Amino acid sequence: MSRRFSQVAPRERRAVLRRAFMDSLPVLMGYTTMGFVAGVLLAAKAGLHHAPVWAFLTSAACVSGTFNFAIVQPVAERVSIWSVALLVLGINFRYAFYGFTMLARWRGVPLFRKLFLIHTLADENYALEAACRYKSPDANLLYCLALSAMNISYWILGTTAGAVSVAVLEGALDPDVIRRHTDGMEFAMVALFLVIFTDQIRELLRHGK
Amino acid sequence: MENEFLYMSAVVAVGWAVTYAMRALPFVLFSGRGGKSLPPAVERFGNLISPVIIACLVVYSYSGLQWRTAWPYLAGAITVGLHLWKGNPLASIVAGTALYMCLVSCGCQTAPDEVTYDKAHPLLRFSSRGLQFRGEFVSARKAVDLLEKNRVPKDSVIYILVDPDYDYVHDRTMWKFQHYYLGSAGYRRTMLVHERRAEAAAAPERHAGRAAGTVEPPPPAQDVRRRGPEGAGRGR
Repeated sequence: MSRRFSQVAPRERRAVLRRAFMDSLPVLMGYTTMGFVAGVLLAAKAGLHHAPVWAFLTSAACVSGTFNFAIVQPVAERVSIWSVALLVLGINFRYAFYGFTMLARWRGVPLFRKLFLIHTLADENYALEAACRYKSPDANLLYCLALSAMNISYWILGTTAGAVSVAVLEGALDPDVIRRHTDGMEFAMVALFLVIFTDQIRELLRHGK
Repeated sequence: MENEFLYMSAVVAVGWAVTYAMRALPFVLFSGRGGKSLPPAVERFGNLISPVIIACLVVYSYSGLQWRTAWPYLAGAITVGLHLWKGNPLASIVAGTALYMCLVSCGCQTAPDEVTYDKAHPLLRFSSRGLQFRGEFVSARKAVDLLEKNRVPKDSVIYILVDPDYDYVHDRTMWKFQHYYLGSAGYRRTMLVHERRAEAAAAPERHAGRAAGTVEPPPPAQDVRRRGPEGAGRGR
């Protein structure tokens, strides 16, 4: 704990951390299962030699579930890097609007912590961080940092575990068997998009009224 | 291997850079404004553009599914319905995916028809317009998938019909297809068949009354000179 958090009383600090952990539990469920599927897909469908490494790197570098799912098909087809850039721009454009909510709340946060918070501003983190209202900005910051760190570690854990399990099974099983049993799993990405789309349409209709 | 390393490093770098840039954009643009709210036009644009983008993504990702069958649409309807009803994203995604996996793998698929893949009936055809599997344009990945789906044995020779106008000396796509896609899937024996040859091989069978399904009509006479060496396998 650095000097900033020393201003938060130890008792409150513990309460904040406990609340962050409790709030991250539903995300733990979602991120590990979805991350596992994303890792399995990357390892089984993208035709990579070191899938666990890439699963770890992709999930750690761009903390974005949609990215991990959307990248599988283009990587399998080895599309050009510009197409990948365009695709990422398309799917992650929405993040540009998340920051607007956080502008005022993260004012005065030290640079590196702010960079970390921006790095981890994924859908679930955003939803929880936007909903959290501690009176003291320090407690707020502590909550955001703890929550982000926990959530992204769940996601990285999930994707890496998925890719590793496929890599381990590949040695023991016929790759055809794995392919047959993961057939249809790619629907998870479509379902994710459909759910996001449904939410957005509902939000739009609510605003229109 | 190194290719994969370079390509995936680039994917990770690009993915990180673009995602981070998107997330940091408001902080860069409006850092001076402090707590003031957004211009309403920006807010409206933001509300409108993201559903459009996600809709495009849905359409794109359907192309990776078995979109000619009804199953992805059924599973999609169930997913959306469940989400509207219960509002639990994880439950809807898991249920929809499980349903789709069942539908696809539990025999709800049209059985693959018998395919012949001898020299007279090559399954694959390369022309300057791209790769065809039984007369249909497909991606390289899809072609390999189709070979596997049609249970073409891995040790059989894969004949590839080469269109006379396909410039395989300068165009590397076919080489990449053979060595990267077919090779990594386990199809290591390929043979290039030039149109004229396939025609000749098919001719006796045609007299015997069998339909030569995938063989193209003979090339026009002026194209004969542009043909490559006859029936060469890749000797690399």
